[in-house]
This record gives sequence, structure tokens and C-alpha cells, in this order.
Amino acid sequence: MEGIGKVSQWVFHLGGMRIELNSATLLMTWLIMALILVFTVLATRRREMVPGPWQHLSELLVGWIKDLCVDALGEKWGKRYYPLICALFIFLLLCNWIGIIPYMDEPTKDLNTTLGLGIMGFFIAHGTAIWVKGPKTYVTEYFKPIFFLMPLNVVGEFAKVVSISFRLFGNIMGGSIIIIVVSYLAYGLILPPFLYAFFGLFVGTIQAFVFTVLTLVYIAVQIR
Amino acid sequence: MEITGADLVRAAALLGAGLSMGFGAIGPGVGEGIVGGSACEAIGRNPREAGLLTRTMLVGQAVSESTGIYSLVVALLLIFVV
Repeated sequence: MEGIGKVSQWVFHLGGMRIELNSATLLMTWLIMALILVFTVLATRRREMVPGPWQHLSELLVGWIKDLCVDALGEKWGKRYYPLICALFIFLLLCNWIGIIPYMDEPTKDLNTTLGLGIMGFFIAHGTAIWVKGPKTYVTEYFKPIFFLMPLNVVGEFAKVVSISFRLFGNIMGGSIIIIVVSYLAYGLILPPFLYAFFGLFVGTIQAFVFTVLTLVYIAVQIR
Repeated sequence: MEITGADLVRAAALLGAGLSMGFGAIGPGVGEGIVGGSACEAIGRNPREAGLLTRTMLVGQAVSESTGIYSLVVALLLIFVV
């Protein structure tokens, strides 16, 4: 039970400032980036008309996400944004799946990762809105339908970031806490492997998909 | 053994965590049930659109789940931070 709520940290002192780095999150993020690099190299190493297994898998994934983006954003903007959405989905999928390997932590169990990705989505959506509509139309949209609803609209935009990042963090964190508690009760005998499969594979896949689709929807709402 | 102020604060925090999770789980449970039931009805009427409906259902359920996740985060804060 002592594993709950513990964060492994590296602490530096640099010129009177105290710098804390979450070591497990950093190492796991680097590991996942390496895994994605290996996957892409394997997928694009020998490109042929009749694809091998890696190329086939990656074409399936990329094609599916491209269809999703073109559905949501239209032909022009969908083609421009699907590499971003695809990278986000693959990163989050591997982040959530790596927890099923023993002694590995999910980077998404740390609020910093999910909040960072949420803020990235916020800036991309609003940058796109300013790019597409122009600054004047973008600002006047906040004063609709009546001008004194402007604070509510602004708070609503910030609440989107909080809700999207806390949703992913809470799901992964809650799953890992339930696994720790049940392992403590059942001494790791029968239930935990099923729980790892449920929370790691099933919930992890759904939450990675939901995060990706919501980022896509936030961009789509801004450019309409 | 005396009960001091810190013990009372700890007890109140744990009680609050339990109440937060218990009451916070009602809304998402009802909401996800309604979304799932409606999706089942829609798939029964129009089985060809099952893929799109399942996708929309999952996104809707995840959105309606967010209040439950907020209460989970509040409960975690009450247990580990207070």
C-alpha cells in the first residue's frame, strides 16, 4: 500500500532555486519516444506495394485517423492537422499501455504530462481560430450572444483544458490505485492480471482515443 | 490516548473523501447508463451505423464521466494532501 501517492524525484539546487524533476515520468517519456522511433523506422524501412506487417499496421492506423480528421475538419484542414492528431494518439496509446509491464509507470499518471498536452491543444485550437477567422472575428465571438457573457465564455475555454487533462490523469491514476489496493488485498494472486488488462489495455485505449478526439473536436469547434 | 485537533482534521478529510467519491459517482453512473442505453436503441434501429454510434457513445460517456473524475481528484487531494 505504500506505493500510493509516492513520486520519485530528482532534486537539483541551481543558483538558489530548487528544481524538482519527476524522474519516473521523464524516463518513461523518453522510453516511449524511443519506442515510437523504432516503430516508425520499422514501418518505413522497406516500403512496398504489398506491405509487410509493420507497414500494414501503420497504414491502417494512419488511414483511420486521417478519415477521422477529414470527417471533423473538412478536406483542407483535416489533411493539414492529421499528423499532429496521429502523433498524439500513438503517444498516448503507448503511454497508457506501458503500465501493464511490471515496474513501468505510465507517464500519464503524472498531471504534468496530461496538463502539458491539454495546454498544447488549447494553444493549437486558438491559434488556428485566429489564423482562420482573423483576430477581429475571433475576439467578437466572445461577446456573443450578449456582451456581458464574455467572462463565462473565457472561463469555458479554460475549463476545457482542465477537464480534458484531469480526465486522462484521473482515469489512469485511479486505475493504478485500484490495482495497488486489490494487489494488497489479494496478495497479487488471481485478480491483478485481469485488472491490469482492463485498466491498462481497455481503459487506456479508450482514454487515449477520447483525448485525441476531444482535441480534434476543440479544433473543429474553433474553425467553424 | 487523546484526540487532538490534527486527528479531527484527518478524520474529517477521510470522511470528506468518502462522501465526495460516493456522491460524485451517482451522476456519471446515471449519465453513462442513459448514453449507453440510447446507443443500444439507435444501433437496434440502424445496425449499419454501429461503428459511428459506438465512437460517439464512447466520447459522450467520457465527457459525462468527467464530474466523477473531478470527485476522484478531490478525494485523492483530501486523502494525500490534507
